[in-house]
Amino acid sequence: MERKWHAILTACLLSIAFFSLVNTPVVAEPLKISVLTDMSGPYAGITGANVEAAKMAIADFGGKILGNPIEFVYRDHMCKPDVANQKAKELYEKEQVDVIFDCPNSAAGLAVANQAKIHKKPFIAIGSGTTRLSGPDCNRYTFKWAYNDYMLATAVGLWAADNLGKKWYTITADYAWGHDLLHHFSEALKAKGGTLLGNEMVALGTSDFSPYILKAMNAKPEVLVLLNAGKDAVNSTKQAMEFGLKKKVKIVHALLFIEDIKASGDIFAGDYVTGAWYWKSDNPGSKEFVEKWKKQFNKPPNWMNAATYSAVTQYLKAVERAKSKDALPVIKALEGHEFRDLLANPGKIRAEDHMEVGNAYILRAKNPGEIKEDWDFFDIVGVIPPDKAYQNPKDTGCKMDTAE
Amino acid sequence: MNLQFVFMQLFNGLILGSLYVLLALGLSIIFGMLGIINFAHGAFFMLGAYAAYTITSYIIPDYWLALISVPILMAAFGSLCEIVLFRRLYDLPPLYIMLLTFGLMLVLQDAARLVFGSMGVPFGTPKSLTGMVNLGFMYYPSYRLFLIAVTSCAAFAVWLFLSKTKLGCIIRAGTDNPKMLEALGINISRTMTLVVGLGTGLAGLAGVLAAPIQNVRPLMGMDLLVDCFVVVVIGGMGSLGGSVVGGLIVGQIIAIGVMVWPPMANTLIYLFMAAFLLVRPRGLFGRESFHE
Repeated sequence: MERKWHAILTACLLSIAFFSLVNTPVVAEPLKISVLTDMSGPYAGITGANVEAAKMAIADFGGKILGNPIEFVYRDHMCKPDVANQKAKELYEKEQVDVIFDCPNSAAGLAVANQAKIHKKPFIAIGSGTTRLSGPDCNRYTFKWAYNDYMLATAVGLWAADNLGKKWYTITADYAWGHDLLHHFSEALKAKGGTLLGNEMVALGTSDFSPYILKAMNAKPEVLVLLNAGKDAVNSTKQAMEFGLKKKVKIVHALLFIEDIKASGDIFAGDYVTGAWYWKSDNPGSKEFVEKWKKQFNKPPNWMNAATYSAVTQYLKAVERAKSKDALPVIKALEGHEFRDLLANPGKIRAEDHMEVGNAYILRAKNPGEIKEDWDFFDIVGVIPPDKAYQNPKDTGCKMDTAE
Repeated sequence: MNLQFVFMQLFNGLILGSLYVLLALGLSIIFGMLGIINFAHGAFFMLGAYAAYTITSYIIPDYWLALISVPILMAAFGSLCEIVLFRRLYDLPPLYIMLLTFGLMLVLQDAARLVFGSMGVPFGTPKSLTGMVNLGFMYYPSYRLFLIAVTSCAAFAVWLFLSKTKLGCIIRAGTDNPKMLEALGINISRTMTLVVGLGTGLAGLAGVLAAPIQNVRPLMGMDLLVDCFVVVVIGGMGSLGGSVVGGLIVGQIIAIGVMVWPPMANTLIYLFMAAFLLVRPRGLFGRESFHE
């Protein structure tokens, strides 16, 4: 008898234990976001703070999504493609991140896009500008945000041909990025019926641009296009000023940030460049973001920072719409999505090639006398709509794999 | 290609050559005396430029003051480096002190990045030297002419100092045979301090002169340093005349290369060096004792 009772009691206890185990809610899986960027290489001064931009976007969600915490990690790739490749692998495999953002340097971006494809996890490229990411090398897991080389060249190219002159001379940094830009600039000029008087290929890191500047002077162009970035942009512009070329021609740049102007005084005054955003813009949420940023860093954000904030925010919103952090539902929530935020007003993520497109702004660097506020170095002189600033998705060469 | 462009280019080669000369002179005397290749030399050049920036932006906005004071400050800094760091490693194999200078380079570059940021800082051309000068056959920026003049004076002054003063005589003897010098009762460690100071001062002067042309960046010395090794090798290790001639040759090779075939301009100097060394392994004025 007693035994029976014992057996029943044990069975009861066991069953209670068993059911209680089954009914415990599953431990929440955090969403893990990562930024892979250049924090100690040549673009550190521009992209290093993208880490902070991503943190801000996460904080604006209260650090939680779908009731789960959001975790954040970042890695420095020093602008080296091989390092980027290895860090991306590490992030997807060891850190088990759900998404990677940014990654300046085109070769590095292409390497990470490949890792994203292998690991079947999203990668949202911001800093890497190559059109191949949303062209021949596009894949289902890779998105390109805010700008690409085609847009950098085409927007200011079209605008310059209409407003500055149709006789151009180009000085090009002699590597893939420079060649790419030269191609797109020439196309824009051709479309407007202008002539390219000449081009000089210049080795990266040349310290004396004066001979090329002299050659450009002899050709008597209306517009000098400098297809370089960072210190090469500084040196070439400085020497154009020194030889008196700046008085005779308008200068157009491929890439120029407020930090570049801060670091080089008034040499860029009056020059033109394409930007994806400017901190004086009145897009929804723009002012609040700039205020917050200024409080933290004592300076306004550049457009790479704003693009990072926008990309992380839109990704989190897509997770909310998909009600899941799994790659495919989130990708589907992103594809074809139209939105308005601080960066893009309006913006659209094209399903055909995963390019996020918005307006391209033509920025003109102010003359020293026009600068009323520190860091307010640009005037927006023109806006190029997305359908003109970006290639038609039919022409990008992207074959998007839509398999589930 | 018109004649005016050719002349301009030759002048530009002279500008580049002038900077090489100043840097290679310092590298060369330090090499002769200490028997080491000073990797920190490019960082000293960068530091000179930042010192000029600091003086003109925060202390007294006067380029001329910077031009005079920076080389002196940098010479003091170099001497300090010698007393505090280099001196401890003379008795060890030369590899150690080379590693030390390499480490010093990295430390100085990162220090500049920490203090001034990685983007670099602006440096304008001094007001009185903006504009162009009419040389009769062409117009040329006046600052660049000024740079050539200052470099020529500095190189001449170094030559005078080394060839006409007792101290210079000691330094030349030291670069030739430091052991013998010591045996003759000369205080060699003081001479060493002086030599490193002199070399660093020259690098600082090159930094001040280059700043208005290139702006100031933490890595500005790296680009020039590698070319300077080429200059020193072509001129002959430890030879002062070789530094001057080598610097001018390399500057002109780059300038002419740019006229003929721009993408190869920077590679040309290495080709030239390789060809030159096949014919004359010790360089232009190198002495046999070093390599052969």
